[in-house]
Amino acid sequence: MRRVLAVIRREFVERVRQRWFWVMVVLGPLFFGAIFILPTLLAGKGGVKRIVVVDGTTSTFGARLTERLDRESLFIAVRVPAGPATADSLMAAVDAKELDGFLIVSDAAVDSGKVMYRASNVSSFITIGTLERVIGEMVNATRLEREGVNPALVAQARIRIDLDSKKISGGKATGESAAQSFSLAYFMGIILYMAILLYGINVMSSVLEEKTTKIVEVLISSLRPFQLLLGKVIGVGAVSIFQFLIWGVSTRLLISQRRHLLGEQGMSDGGGLFQVPHVSAGTAAIFIAYFLGGFLLYSSMFAAVGAMSSNEQEARQAQQPVVMLLVASFVSMFAMLNDPASTLSVTLSMIPFSAPIAMPVRWAAGNLPFHEVALSLGILTASILGVTWVAARIYRVGILMTGKRPNLKELVRWVRAA
Amino acid sequence: MSETVVAVDRITKRFAGHTAVDALSLAVPPGVIYGLLGPNGAGKSTTIRMILNIYAPDSGTVRLFGEHGTGHEHSARIGYLPEERGLYPKMRVLDVLLFLAELKGVDRRAGRTRALDWLQRLGLSDWRMRKVNELSKGMQQKVQFISTILHEPDLLVMDEAFSGLDPVNSQVLKDTILDLRARGKTILFSTHIMEQAEKVCDHVCIIARGKKLVDGTLADIKRTHGGRHLLINFDGARGAADGIFADRRLVAKADVSGQFAELELAVHGDAQEILRALVTSGARLSRFELAEPSLNKIFIDLVGPEAAAPVARPDPEVARA
Repeated sequence: MRRVLAVIRREFVERVRQRWFWVMVVLGPLFFGAIFILPTLLAGKGGVKRIVVVDGTTSTFGARLTERLDRESLFIAVRVPAGPATADSLMAAVDAKELDGFLIVSDAAVDSGKVMYRASNVSSFITIGTLERVIGEMVNATRLEREGVNPALVAQARIRIDLDSKKISGGKATGESAAQSFSLAYFMGIILYMAILLYGINVMSSVLEEKTTKIVEVLISSLRPFQLLLGKVIGVGAVSIFQFLIWGVSTRLLISQRRHLLGEQGMSDGGGLFQVPHVSAGTAAIFIAYFLGGFLLYSSMFAAVGAMSSNEQEARQAQQPVVMLLVASFVSMFAMLNDPASTLSVTLSMIPFSAPIAMPVRWAAGNLPFHEVALSLGILTASILGVTWVAARIYRVGILMTGKRPNLKELVRWVRAA
Repeated sequence: MSETVVAVDRITKRFAGHTAVDALSLAVPPGVIYGLLGPNGAGKSTTIRMILNIYAPDSGTVRLFGEHGTGHEHSARIGYLPEERGLYPKMRVLDVLLFLAELKGVDRRAGRTRALDWLQRLGLSDWRMRKVNELSKGMQQKVQFISTILHEPDLLVMDEAFSGLDPVNSQVLKDTILDLRARGKTILFSTHIMEQAEKVCDHVCIIARGKKLVDGTLADIKRTHGGRHLLINFDGARGAADGIFADRRLVAKADVSGQFAELELAVHGDAQEILRALVTSGARLSRFELAEPSLNKIFIDLVGPEAAAPVARPDPEVARA
């Protein structure tokens, strides 16, 4: 055991001493912060849209719509009456970037809700969303007034609803709103994927380094291959936990000081635009459990890959199947975010290779029955034992092997022979 | 410590298509320097790896320090210098030494004292905080050698101990080995360089193609396998030397290289007769000595030129033919 400790210690100390570890410590949060803030920033960017309302109505609807849109901070709206060549000249203006877009309204707007919008960019959901909302309100109000409803009553009825959704967990409403749950799930999925990949490959290069420098022979004369593998995996795992700890503590600190920091710079709280997800103890436990499970599962596979390769190039090729397995799990996360309770999601959270990403994502997105988590963890644990057993055998033969990479048939023989 | 340190009993190891070690037995007594000699590919490294339990033999047993059990259980008492040297290139010298000593069960404080002491002794004190890859090859070799003896092993195993060493380091290593023996340690090393083995070994075991050819003390082997030998140095003129050496009544075997010749006398060959014949034929001699054969000579006689070529994993097709 003392020898395993020596291996753990070396893996930990040598890694933490390296510059890249501290670069990751600093850059990690910046990177993840960017993932969250950038979409918001980009969506809000572009500033005020200059639009023209081509009024083909016979009522005052076009004029009122223009005025209403102009009141929105997002738009500067100008009304022009509809003419035979209006659309063509406006299109030229959009082309010349003198204009961002134009709306064409006719009486059909009120009757059937049909309005046309032509713009250089129709993918900004904020622009489109605002247009739809404002036009919808106007059409509703106009229709009601036409039916003789008091305009004051219409205005009163037109109260915007702010849906405050909270996730229910254990019979209590948690502090996690729907938006927060979504971003938490998204966030955890990305971190899990990157951490498992990064630290798994770390184990692989550590194995490869010992093999290519030939020091492995000295090590193997001192301790069993399995002990060496164990120490290596635990050591690298400890580095990753240490990294999470630093991130966790510094994030806590930042959040608790946030008001203070922002206040000093005379800024508001960001208007709740970027919400920091509330992480409960249960969520943290699930995250850590599945990270460790995923790391153990994948790092032993990566170790086997390192052991069967004799240089970096070979390893890069041989790691492809393992990396693909992880990438597939990561990509399927997006499907799961849409419907965490679908058959696909449930299946993926049970398959051991995708469970380390799938299960925490499902957990964060919605409340999960306990037995599903237990079953998934059970399958994962059993798979870790099985995969590690096979990987350790490949590792044992591979680390002392030189020459060409083994094919599948030879690998099977290694597993049998070891 | 009077028991046999390493007792190898009929171990065999096969790799795909060829037998690397074939029913090899040897015994290393305590407190000696034991040379495992053989041409390249003879199975020396494989034998050593089986002794250290890096490979498991297909059959046969290895006993260390008189006990059964694996090399791992005895690993704290064994120092191992493999044929292919290597250290962690990015670790500091002192850290590597401490780590490797820790793997042998030495606690960090004791390891530190000993490591600093050895670094001092081999002139590497100033390099202790440098990274391994900043050191020259020779310095790395020294560091690796220190790593094999930091835990004060009773048995030191070195595969191709002297390969790649410059004359200075070679001398340092030899002195250290002799010093360790003086302190009662046992040293087992393999080499294919006979001159080195002859200078330091008490015991030798010569193997070829995985099989033992001979083992015993160096003195015994020289006595039984040498016959009577003549060492001759010419001083310019060689006279009719070639003709005389070819006379099978006088000379059993001749190994001539330029101005030097090593002769094995025929059973009834008379050294005086050879001397007389050489001088009469006009040869000038600077040396004429009746001597024990060199280990190199014995080795070549035993191994033979054909065995010196290793059997490199014969193709299954060829093997059948």
